[in-house]
Amino acid sequence: MIRSSSSLPAVVDSRGAGPTPAFTDHISSAPLDAAAMLKDAHHPGAGAVVLFSGEVRNNNRGRGVAYLEYEAHAALASKMIAQILEEAKAKWQLEIAVGRHRTGRVKIGETAVVVITAAPHRKEAYAANEYIIGRIKHEAPIWKCEYFEDGSHEWGNNCNCGPC
Amino acid sequence: MKIHVYAALKDHFEPEFELQDAGHNTDELKARLQGINADATELLKICRFAVEDGFIDNEFKLSDHDTVIIIPPSSGG
Repeated sequence: MIRSSSSLPAVVDSRGAGPTPAFTDHISSAPLDAAAMLKDAHHPGAGAVVLFSGEVRNNNRGRGVAYLEYEAHAALASKMIAQILEEAKAKWQLEIAVGRHRTGRVKIGETAVVVITAAPHRKEAYAANEYIIGRIKHEAPIWKCEYFEDGSHEWGNNCNCGPC
Repeated sequence: MKIHVYAALKDHFEPEFELQDAGHNTDELKARLQGINADATELLKICRFAVEDGFIDNEFKLSDHDTVIIIPPSSGG
């Protein structure tokens, strides 16, 4: 029988500053400010900081996109993102790993998801960042609904990053 | 049993509803839901199930008091 744990340890900053905010901080119904998030993601032991900002574009597969709506199971998604970040921190010895995803209506050009990784060297920071965004995209219970300019809409199934 | 569905499943079911005789495991629950709306059959085959914020598999014994979350394939990012 599989039933994954519903209680996880708080994410601890490697600077020893104590637990980071609660899991729900990984899901936001408010706009994401990538620049402000980057400002808080520096560490004296990190020579490389990588920020990925997933932004809403105005077209997909030849169709004009008006906006996106994201839905999530916030508690489960936050918990999963926290787990993914912890795994990445351990695997690449990251000093900082941040992941936050929007819910609700996200306009063209706005940020839907931010991942920040800080490591001693760039190779690890890049690799960890790609790993984190890939797992968030494919595993966290977050769903995209595209609203097209012609008035139609369509749920998910629009992953363009290879076999899923 | 309380059922919560998300995303494309909401095209086939109410977002939240109660179901009597919903089954004792996820396979039985899937069959019950397919019986209610056959159009959801293919989507239900690729969904994950969770109870109390933890994923479950078919070995997990469901009870009438559970709230089951049915999770379609993710499409974040």
